[in-house]
Amino acid sequence: MTDTPQLFNRELSWLEFNSRVLGEARDASLPLLERLKFLAITGSNLDEFFKVRVGGLQLLHRRGVSRHDPSGLSPGEQLRRIHEKARAMVGEQSECYLNEVEPGLTAAGLRRVTGAQLTEKQQSFLRTLFRDEIFSVLTPMRIGADVNFPLLVHESLSVCVRMQPIEQFDGVDVPRIAVIPFNAYPLRFITLPSDGGGYDYILLEDAVCLFADRFFKGETILESVPFRITRNADLALQEEQASDLMSGMEDLLEARKEADCVRLEIAENASEELVEFLRKLLNLDPNGVYPTSAPLDMSAFWELVGISGFDELKIDEWLPQPSPEIPPTADLFEILAERDVLLYHPYQSFEPVIRFLEQAAADPDVLAIKQTLYRTSSKSPIVSALMKAAENGKHVAVVVELKARFDEARNIAWAKDLERAGVQVIYGIKGLKTHAKVCVVVRREPQGIRRYCHFGTGNYNEITARIYRDASLFTSDNELGSDAVNFMYAITGYSQPNRFHKLDAAPMTIRSKLLELIEGEIERKKQNQPAEIMVKVNSLVDPPLIEALYRASQAGVRIRLNVRGACCLIPGVAGLSENIDVVSIIDRFLEHARILYFHHGGDPQLFLSSADWMPRNLDRRLELMVPVESPENRERLIDILKTYFRDNQKSHRQKKDGSYRRIRSKKKMPLRSQEILFREAIDDSIRISQASRTVFVPHLADGESHF
Amino acid sequence: MNSEHGTSRQTREDPLRDREPSPEHRATVSRPVAVIDIGTTSIRMEVAEISNDGSVRTLQQLFQAVNLGKDTFTTGSLQKNTIEKCVRILKSYRQVLNEFQITKDDQIRIVATSSVREAENRLTFLDRIYSATGFQIEPIEEPDVVRITYLGIQPFLRVESALSDRRSLIVEVGGGSTELLLVQGEDVLASHTYRLGTVRLWESLNRMQSTHMPGREIMADRINQMVDQIQHQLGKEGVDQMVALGGDMRFAASHLLEDWTPDELGRLPLQELDRFADLILHQSFDQIVRKFRLSYDDAATLGPALLVNQTIANRLGLDHLLVTRFSLRDGLLKEMASRETWNTSFDEQILRSAHEVARKFHLDLRHAEQVELLSRKLFAALRTEFGIDVRHEVLLRTAALLHESGMYLESSGYHKHSMYIMLHCELFGLSRRGLLLASLVARYHRRASPKPTHQGYDTLSREERVLVRQLAAILRVADALDRSRSARVGDIECEIQERRFVINVPHATDLSVEQLAIKQKGSLFEDIFGLQVVLRPSRKSVS
Repeated sequence: MTDTPQLFNRELSWLEFNSRVLGEARDASLPLLERLKFLAITGSNLDEFFKVRVGGLQLLHRRGVSRHDPSGLSPGEQLRRIHEKARAMVGEQSECYLNEVEPGLTAAGLRRVTGAQLTEKQQSFLRTLFRDEIFSVLTPMRIGADVNFPLLVHESLSVCVRMQPIEQFDGVDVPRIAVIPFNAYPLRFITLPSDGGGYDYILLEDAVCLFADRFFKGETILESVPFRITRNADLALQEEQASDLMSGMEDLLEARKEADCVRLEIAENASEELVEFLRKLLNLDPNGVYPTSAPLDMSAFWELVGISGFDELKIDEWLPQPSPEIPPTADLFEILAERDVLLYHPYQSFEPVIRFLEQAAADPDVLAIKQTLYRTSSKSPIVSALMKAAENGKHVAVVVELKARFDEARNIAWAKDLERAGVQVIYGIKGLKTHAKVCVVVRREPQGIRRYCHFGTGNYNEITARIYRDASLFTSDNELGSDAVNFMYAITGYSQPNRFHKLDAAPMTIRSKLLELIEGEIERKKQNQPAEIMVKVNSLVDPPLIEALYRASQAGVRIRLNVRGACCLIPGVAGLSENIDVVSIIDRFLEHARILYFHHGGDPQLFLSSADWMPRNLDRRLELMVPVESPENRERLIDILKTYFRDNQKSHRQKKDGSYRRIRSKKKMPLRSQEILFREAIDDSIRISQASRTVFVPHLADGESHF
Repeated sequence: MNSEHGTSRQTREDPLRDREPSPEHRATVSRPVAVIDIGTTSIRMEVAEISNDGSVRTLQQLFQAVNLGKDTFTTGSLQKNTIEKCVRILKSYRQVLNEFQITKDDQIRIVATSSVREAENRLTFLDRIYSATGFQIEPIEEPDVVRITYLGIQPFLRVESALSDRRSLIVEVGGGSTELLLVQGEDVLASHTYRLGTVRLWESLNRMQSTHMPGREIMADRINQMVDQIQHQLGKEGVDQMVALGGDMRFAASHLLEDWTPDELGRLPLQELDRFADLILHQSFDQIVRKFRLSYDDAATLGPALLVNQTIANRLGLDHLLVTRFSLRDGLLKEMASRETWNTSFDEQILRSAHEVARKFHLDLRHAEQVELLSRKLFAALRTEFGIDVRHEVLLRTAALLHESGMYLESSGYHKHSMYIMLHCELFGLSRRGLLLASLVARYHRRASPKPTHQGYDTLSREERVLVRQLAAILRVADALDRSRSARVGDIECEIQERRFVINVPHATDLSVEQLAIKQKGSLFEDIFGLQVVLRPSRKSVS
């Protein structure tokens, strides 16, 4: 290989991903509220990106660090390109909203009303609302050059008000500026009385701008402008972001407060004077300012996507189907003692996962339940099943990952509930984020202890399980059970990590196992045997794994990658990667499952994994990679993987320059992978409901028998 | 799909473990047990299930690092911090045991090896652990470690054709000592313990440097001294192969052998081990810890352990060595399992070893064997009625074989010398306690009955005192029955009648010599069993 970098830049590749999401919003064939949803996702994705990725780079750049990343770019160059690309994206997003989506919504009766458009009735309603409610909740804060800038809550909206100056300093007007932060007021969409059919609303910022003079009696208001700042996320996240670059530069972390603000989004009509004033106060580089013509914080439009009615603007709902392998009334342990069960959500319902825990909680033979939990709530049926189990005298241990600071208070509330119920709660592992999704139930049976496991690629969260595409594997395999319990003992401090029989865990062995599997394909190809790799992950960033894939391509191994998000591998380059094909599926459900396939000389090896192929997942998180062993489940996963690669509707192929092109085949039948998988789930469920119709199960008195 | 792994329900053949209850085992009943091994650098626990057919199925393996050996082998006693760390670890293990509902003492065996046994403050340690966790730790000695480990690998020797009928040296390099076991096929020929272990070696040499392995030459020097002794003891015959036990060698094997799973016997070319040992010995502990993801303590023992194994194998002229995953814990579990199904083949090992000793001390083998045979018959006749555990038969038979070994020293009061010899010969397979009991049985085969003041007897529990009396009483009768030393009485039939124990001797006409001998042997039998011994020529022969 040559010395020139053979990787795409991770940040730019991620921005490419967000462009594909935005591409869905621009797809005129989709219903308008679905397009609005993709605009909201584009917005929240960008927020996350600035929050966790840009801050560290900005810090490095300011400190004069010029070390290049694996793609050969310095922090300064990366920042320049990021802003360039992000700015274009925001422009496209605004244009899409203002020119494509909003006019359609307005025509359909879903109207955003601004000041000039308010009817008399609506004005009167707003005046009352403002006087009785909003005025008393919002608190304006005066700021000036000599006054500390108020600590604005990250990602929340504010309105900046500029007033007529009343004094001068050295002959120059002293600006008089105040900020009205919205964080105390929860409502963004204010429903307005409407005469005709449809739904009229006004955005809070527009209402506040309209009535800003109420806060500043006797002042002349020159302008009122909504804005929003994005801060660099907390230290832990920053550590994570920068650790590939910042080893040994702890002093930089100390200085992070200087770089606190990474982005200022502000309404396009703001005066240059106001923008400059805010930018300087926030200590922000000029390229961090994002003027926009569309409403700020598009992620808030999620709320509107879920509005009741307007069915013609929405997509048909695809309801989760029951799995043919788990009839609704069946005893799960009985089924799992016989065979492994693979579920593919959300086509297949997440309900068996909840039932698994509820059954375990009530079963007198269950001795212990051990589980990882991440982002869930007190209302979650999983949490209540765990509490019930503990109350029933079972040993329940839960590893709770407290993610971001913002989540902490919410997390702690339900974690405390668990503790009160007698659950042993472990609050994460020092230095490693627990990302593995595993639940193991230890059950005493006549022939001995049996362990029932659930391994997942998604969180134990019944809400996200409706949107994320994830896989679940239930098994009572003895060795996997032993491994799962050992893994839980290791992360709960009962034992140091042992060598597992079948599982692989990060940060211990996942990377080496993957390298070994890739090398195995290379070896077989060299011996003229068939060799193939299919991988579905969310991100492919890890340089050693990418290099191994290049080697495999060079050896002639056929490699098909389905990478939803950032992919730093450059495909299709002669002599480097011509045997590698990279696609990305963006459709109504978020692709989240990690599925790995290795041809392995005709004995296909399939794995489910919680880990993406990124350094942070493989080195700094607790992750699991689980072999799928039953031939039926292996075949099903292979089918699923192959279905994606046949998609010619929602699939995008990565090109040599890092950009993507939507795959459209005029010759072939239109094929949309998510729809096919949904149809299959329906067919399966129809099959069982037809089969079950022929069986009648009478309720009998205890001990009574027909025969 | 063509899959050699097949479904998850398929399991590999495993001679030792029933990893998954197979359908034919559905009817079996299993009980959960646990063994805990307090070693030199870690405390390890194995949770398992024992079926009523004696098979063992491991459920979970846990370990936590704590460097007891470092304390004991440098300062002579365990430091407070170390003791408290052990308390924390054992408390956490107790919680795990509660999860599996393993709460009764007979479900748990917890042993400690040299780093506890040799600590001056071991009693403080044992008491502290007991008061904090309720665990009764059993300090065990090296011969016990070998004996118990052997129990673990014994079924493997039966199955593994590579080991059958060849002279194999089984080596375990521990933290405090190195254990050797010489076996041929299933027979144990010899066992030895050398006070050279990895931690002991390292601690004694490492006073000056702390981040690197002590000089290889200095270590090699010490190791060579030990190997000289080993070679001397093995004699000219040498060995055909070597089996290396212990975590360090398991680690090396899993690193060097591509397809080796810890469930199989690994064949490790010595050249590769040499290379690996070189690599390890040239790195700092930090490098080893980082590169191989080992704990610091494990990194410290790895180099010396490899060096010892490598040196032994090289000096024995071998080109490879065999590696198994078997550990002390496997043996402990096997021993627990054998409480349910007493393993007679292991008794045979002990008796074979007793035979070796009998030959070494020039005993009248014909008499010894005849007394052993008669003891066995008498034992069988009394066992059920008096509830004597079948496992104690081996003590009686060992005592019977060696009851006259004291003659080798001096004929006057030889029964006391027999006890001494039995306690000090390298009799394989009996625990320290078992050996004491057997030697007391031999001691009481003649003359005075047991008295509370007698040395050794004074340390016994009530059950053990009763057992010694019972077995010694049987041995006295057996010995008396071969008073003629002609083996003319052998084919006996016994029955218990009211207050009488009748021994029918077929084909005998005159039993006066034996009758007299029984009388001379005193009243021990009647005292303990409440039965008078009656010798009777068999009715069949009379008619």
